[in-house]
Amino acid sequence: MPPDLIQLLVGGILLGGIYGLAAFGLSITFGVLNVLNLAHGEFLMLGALMGYVLFTAFGLNPFISAMAVIPIFIIAGIGFYFLLLRPISEKPPHQLLVASILVTLGASLIIEDLTAFFWERPVTGIAYSLPPLELAGVVVSSTRFLILMFIFFLAFSLQLYLQKTYVGKSIRGITQCLEGAKVVGIPIVFVSALTFGLGVALAASAGVFYVTLFTVTPIMGIPLSVKYMCIVVLGGLGSLVGSVVGGLILGVAESFTAYFIGAEWSPTIAFILLILILIVKPEGLFGKKE
Amino acid sequence: MAYALECKEINKTFGGLDALRGINLKVTEGEILGIIGPNGAGKTTLFNIISGALPPTRGKVFFKGRDISSMGAPKICKLGIARTYQLVRPFHSLTALENVLVGLCFGRSDPPPREAGVAEAMDILGFMGLGDKGNKASGSLTLVEKKHLEIARALATRPDILLLDEVVSGLTPTEMTRTIDTIHQIQTRGVTVIMIEHVLRVVMELCKRIVVLNYGVQIAEGRPKDVVNDPKVIVAYLGKVESDDQEIWGD
Amino acid sequence: MILLLGPLAALPWLAVSYTLTLIFFLSVYLTLALSYDIVGGYLGYINLGHSTSFGLGAYTTAILLNQGCSLAVALGLAILLAAVFATLVSYPLFRLRGAYFALATFGLISLIEVVVTNLRDLTGGSGGISTPPGNNLLPAYYLAIVIVLVTMVFSYYLARSQFGLALFSIREDEEVSRAFGVPTSFYKCLAFVISSVPASLIGGVYVWNMTYISPHSVFGLEIALSPIVMAMLGGSGTMVGPVFGAIFITLVQEFLWTKVPYFHLTMYGTVLVLLGLFMPGGLVRTRWIQPLLQRLGLGEELTYFKNS
Repeated sequence: MPPDLIQLLVGGILLGGIYGLAAFGLSITFGVLNVLNLAHGEFLMLGALMGYVLFTAFGLNPFISAMAVIPIFIIAGIGFYFLLLRPISEKPPHQLLVASILVTLGASLIIEDLTAFFWERPVTGIAYSLPPLELAGVVVSSTRFLILMFIFFLAFSLQLYLQKTYVGKSIRGITQCLEGAKVVGIPIVFVSALTFGLGVALAASAGVFYVTLFTVTPIMGIPLSVKYMCIVVLGGLGSLVGSVVGGLILGVAESFTAYFIGAEWSPTIAFILLILILIVKPEGLFGKKE
Repeated sequence: MAYALECKEINKTFGGLDALRGINLKVTEGEILGIIGPNGAGKTTLFNIISGALPPTRGKVFFKGRDISSMGAPKICKLGIARTYQLVRPFHSLTALENVLVGLCFGRSDPPPREAGVAEAMDILGFMGLGDKGNKASGSLTLVEKKHLEIARALATRPDILLLDEVVSGLTPTEMTRTIDTIHQIQTRGVTVIMIEHVLRVVMELCKRIVVLNYGVQIAEGRPKDVVNDPKVIVAYLGKVESDDQEIWGD
Repeated sequence: MILLLGPLAALPWLAVSYTLTLIFFLSVYLTLALSYDIVGGYLGYINLGHSTSFGLGAYTTAILLNQGCSLAVALGLAILLAAVFATLVSYPLFRLRGAYFALATFGLISLIEVVVTNLRDLTGGSGGISTPPGNNLLPAYYLAIVIVLVTMVFSYYLARSQFGLALFSIREDEEVSRAFGVPTSFYKCLAFVISSVPASLIGGVYVWNMTYISPHSVFGLEIALSPIVMAMLGGSGTMVGPVFGAIFITLVQEFLWTKVPYFHLTMYGTVLVLLGLFMPGGLVRTRWIQPLLQRLGLGEELTYFKNS
């Protein structure tokens, strides 16, 4: 494979890793709360901004920032949950749907507008880099490589968390069967709040990496939320591995599209993949048939 | 002469779980067949397959000699099979009348025109004792009323076969008697009834023949009196009580 | 309603063109809100991407007008194109439920916007497209009013029709609806296509009047969300709900927007949040308005949805 293509592939995987991380967060949120958070992309944007601020003001490198934003956003997420989601959580399904769309969409608009007010200019990528590595005769940016490793490490430890800890198992329990979880005595509200916090913290963390590579604007949130949803459907509703894999596929696909067809067509890829998977395998790559 | 309904070697697997294995059923026209069995035996799954809500993993369902195994639910309903649900599922925000109208307009192969349809729907509601509840939102009815509404909705489709899923559970004895009466009347109008039931009294009074399911398998079939005394059936419901007793008391 | 027609018809002689434009825009948004609600409120599938039909209608009309077609032909073909698109896209989309359907339809807008922007030779790209100039405000005004009235009447009768009953049953419980004979897949697609017709039509009239559109003006956030917010604020699932919502929001926007130049989206978002938390059933289902409407014979669908 020519070196150009490898660069493209690595770039795509890196982008995909960031997508996958954020989609992972959306997936656990949906699994537990049964509410699709349209504001998810906003948290990525806010995380990106925070990463930028931490870098320019305090010289904090992105890896530390990515870890630092997690607790901050867990708390922010819990607050968001109790303020906006808990009040509507007891409604019957169709009303819950309408209410959750209204509430999360409204929140998105508020966050975007306020951010745009305080932050007039788009935030360019952080100029953070380490000396390049040489890997199998190909020059790879070591920054990107490290970020990729870091993301995989994060995803891996999350998977362990879900498997081993009480909270993690509670999350999986509620996702699979809410009634059963209640019967067994799992504190639903507590776990829901925590899950939501965790979900948006992952998006924020992904955002920190995002700003090291790309420009961040206040209005990027909603198109990103749509993208994450496409990834979750692509990977399979309810499958966390699927979200990550879906993210990787999208990242690589966007990368290659940008290079071979033109960058202005990249935004369409998420949607094309969505339509394809809905026609071919509606339950997603790793999803289970009803 | 074809049976009203025939199930041949019905199997249903969900992921790793065998919900039904080798179910064979022959239902004659006009009879009331009872299906009993402990919870989780697969009874409702069988109803789902017969009514077309789910496809069988293996096996076939024949309605009056015709293979309906892979027809969708809408078509099967129009052919003449209607059902009720164990946990009632009325169209909550629609009125009782509208609920019945859905069955009437879409559940038949030749629906009547509007005026006649509404009149007939009111008749059916009256038959089920809901004559004055026509304009009430169905979500606000009591449980008994909802159960009767489900039957009314099913009857509106002019079914040849009516699948009743635990239609008396949660009712008082008086309400139960009324429902038993109603089902008798439905039968005299020529409808074949298959009912899943836990309440033995109802099964004994209505069904000439019952089938017992346990863990997805048919374990007994025959007249209610015989089946109920069948040791296999007792074990299925109560577990191995007698032999345990013997062990504990060293008899 | 007859009482309104008189003044509306006479308005051009009495009022300033600003008022005419205001009512024109109200008609556009109300048509979009009503047509949205057929899928969003009657069928119960929240189609956030409804403005896709609007934009497709507008662009098709613009392109055809520039080719020299008459307005009637341009509008007719615009409706056809939007309807065909709706048919094709409904097949994969309706495999999604709930919030996923909502978000996917929302993403559809961006997809079409990108496609339209990239087909620069056909559509003029991000710079937009102009149609033959001409002061069409007066005829457009009348045309828009006719369209919105027809849509209102259609929506009213749809809710009381057998097809409407079927849509409601799908909304309430799709699986049970199927079990009672409703051909859900077909009806969902049909509702989707039907709702695209007024949207694409009014899109064509819009561009004919404005003589210029850009991707942002027809695929942007504002035109996408406003009609839906109007329908939800007024009361989704009814014919009068969108009417209430459209009039309410247009009036509020008129007075508020000029007084407070900033934070429009924030206010919008706050309205959405408050709506979702306290009043998802909309204005027409509040304790004061609902009985009034029921007495007027417009309250039939109001048992659907309780406020808070």
